[in-house]
Parts: sequence; C-alpha cells; structure tokens
Amino acid sequence: MDCREFLDQHLCFVDDTLPGVELVRMQMHLTECEECARHDATIRRSLMLFRNLPRIEPSPDFSKRLEMRLREAKLADAAAASGGRSRKFAAAVTVTSAAMLTYIGISLRQVDTPQDIILPPVVAIATSDASSAGPAPEMIAAVSAGLPIWTAALFAEQTSAHFASIELASNAH
Amino acid sequence: MGIIARKHAVREQGASVREQLRAMDDSGVVTAFLGGEERAFSELVDRYQTRLLNFIYRTIGDREKAEDLVQEVFIRVYRHLHRFDRSKKFSTWAYTIASNLAKNELRNRSRNPLVLFQTVQKNWQEDDRPLQFEDSTSRPDDMYRKRHLREIVEESVAKLPEHHRNVFILRELEGKSYEEIAEITDCNLGTVKSRLNRARNSFAEIVAPYMD
Repeated sequence: MDCREFLDQHLCFVDDTLPGVELVRMQMHLTECEECARHDATIRRSLMLFRNLPRIEPSPDFSKRLEMRLREAKLADAAAASGGRSRKFAAAVTVTSAAMLTYIGISLRQVDTPQDIILPPVVAIATSDASSAGPAPEMIAAVSAGLPIWTAALFAEQTSAHFASIELASNAH
Repeated sequence: MGIIARKHAVREQGASVREQLRAMDDSGVVTAFLGGEERAFSELVDRYQTRLLNFIYRTIGDREKAEDLVQEVFIRVYRHLHRFDRSKKFSTWAYTIASNLAKNELRNRSRNPLVLFQTVQKNWQEDDRPLQFEDSTSRPDDMYRKRHLREIVEESVAKLPEHHRNVFILRELEGKSYEEIAEITDCNLGTVKSRLNRARNSFAEIVAPYMD
C-alpha cells in the first residue's frame, strides 16, 4: 500500500468501516510510514477534542416557551382552517349569485326581445246590402223620433263599425 | 374523597402512559401521537431537544438563536407529522428540518452582515457555556490552557465551510451514518465521504498547532 491509497481510505479506516483485509493493510502501512502515522494521530486527536466539546443543555424555560409557541401555532392553524372554510363558503355564495344573475339576465333578455306575433289572417267580407253602408235604420228612426242623445251616440258607434267593415272589404277587393 | 381518588387514578394512569411511551422506539411514539396521544409529542421533544440544540448550535454558533430554531423544528414536526413517511427514520426527518433551518439562518446572516456582527459579538460577551473542559481539581494555569483550547476548537469548527461543517457535525457530534447524512443533507454518498474527509483534514490542520 502506498501513501495515496492510505489517505484515500483513511476516512473509513478511522470510522472502522473497512473490510478486514483492508484494515490489516492500513495498519501495516502505519508501521512502515512515519508521515502517515503522524497524519493518522493528528486526525484522531483532533476528532477526540471535538467530540469532547461540552454539550449544551436547553435553557430552563425552553419547554414553557415551546408550549406557548405550540399553542400559538395551533390557534393560527385553527384560524387558518376556519378562514379557509369561510373563504370556501364565500366563494360558493359568489358562484351561486353569479349563476342566478346570469339566469335572470338571460330570462329578461328573452322577455324583452320583440318577437313576431303570428295571428290568424283577418278576412273581411263586404256585404252586398247597400243599406248597411249608411246609418242604421234605428238611428234614423231615433233621430226623427227625437230620442235622447246617448242613444244616438250608441248608434253612432255602430255606424263607424259599419264604415270600417266597408273600407276593409273594398281593400280586399 | 371520591374526587381525590379519581385525581390520583388519573395521575397514575398518566404516569404509566408516559412510561410506556418512554419504552417505545421513535416509530412507536410517532404512531401513538398520530393516534391522538398528545403526550407522545412531549416524549419526542424530550428525546431530541438536546441533540438538535447541540447540532444547530455547533452549526450556527449562536446559542439563543439555536434554541429558537430547535423550537421551530418541533413546531414543524407537530404540524407536519401526519405527512411524515413512516417507512423512514424519524430522527433523520427531524435532523433534515434542523439542517435546513440552520442553513437558512446562515444564508440570512450572510445577506445581513449586521446580524452576523451582533451574533459574533454576543457570543464573545455571553460566556454562558458550561465549562466541562475544565476540571475543578486542575491548577489555574492548566484550566486556562484547557479553556483556551476549547475556544480554539470551537473557532476551528466555525472556520470550516458551511457544507463541510454540517457533515462534520452530523458525523462527529451526532454519530450519524454516512447514509443518514446523505439523506439529511440531500447529497449522494460519495459527496458526503469527500466532504467529511476534507472537513476532518481541515479541522486537524487548524487545531494541530495548539494540541502539543
């Protein structure tokens, strides 16, 4: 074994993780090479110093402070969870409202949109009777008989209907 | 009389639960906690608070901040334990959280030199660390020499590059295996070995002149 190989395997050598054969070869090299032996001793001694550094202990109020922080964390989590629930509820309300408004909007548009109303055709037939073109005989009779005005007006309404039917009939022809 | 007896019974029951938890391995304690046993969390805290505190303290060099970060580790554990992959070791997961928090702390400090300065100053002013390196039966000059050596060792660790220091502390102080370190630091095994080898050599080089 040369020094390079020794140094390459030194990590595992110190940690006792080398297979038996390799371990023996490393130990052999240590007896042969003074420089590697010195390196090995320096590493081991320095590690011993580090491992013997005093361990520190948590301060006396460590547990109390941790308990307080945990309580705060639990409260924050609970608040976040309820906040999440109310956010979900608010989102659901918003979506529902939007859907309802959209539905109402569409319905109103359908109502407002002017649609062609298809009605059955009107057919007016002009009567061949010439007397129907003039005032009704009852009216003439009433006027001559001196009947009150309201009755005459009633007759006058009927008279205009007659005129309309005559006009329609002539247009149809 | 009845109330006192009931209280006594509850106390005894609590003590026996704690004893049972103490006898369990980490995996059992985690299962108990996830099953609704809140006292299991205290058991995890008892098991890991000192180990994590030393790991973070040696990584960042600030005791007060290290305690804050250990508390943060436990808060994260409490919040996310239900997501923890129970096929893995709890300790590896806890150390991963601690390692990431320590790394973030060092990154924040490097962005804010004022924090670094204040922290270093505090470390020099507040000498609240236990003096276990000294022996009360030693002579005063010997005590001084040992104390000085301890400071040298601590400074030497602090001088290592962050990614070397992390691996070095996990291996030499916490006794983690190469595989565990690889998982905690999210590196492959080869990187871990190479970093550890370099860290050991650098550390020995810095400390060597003071050892004789």
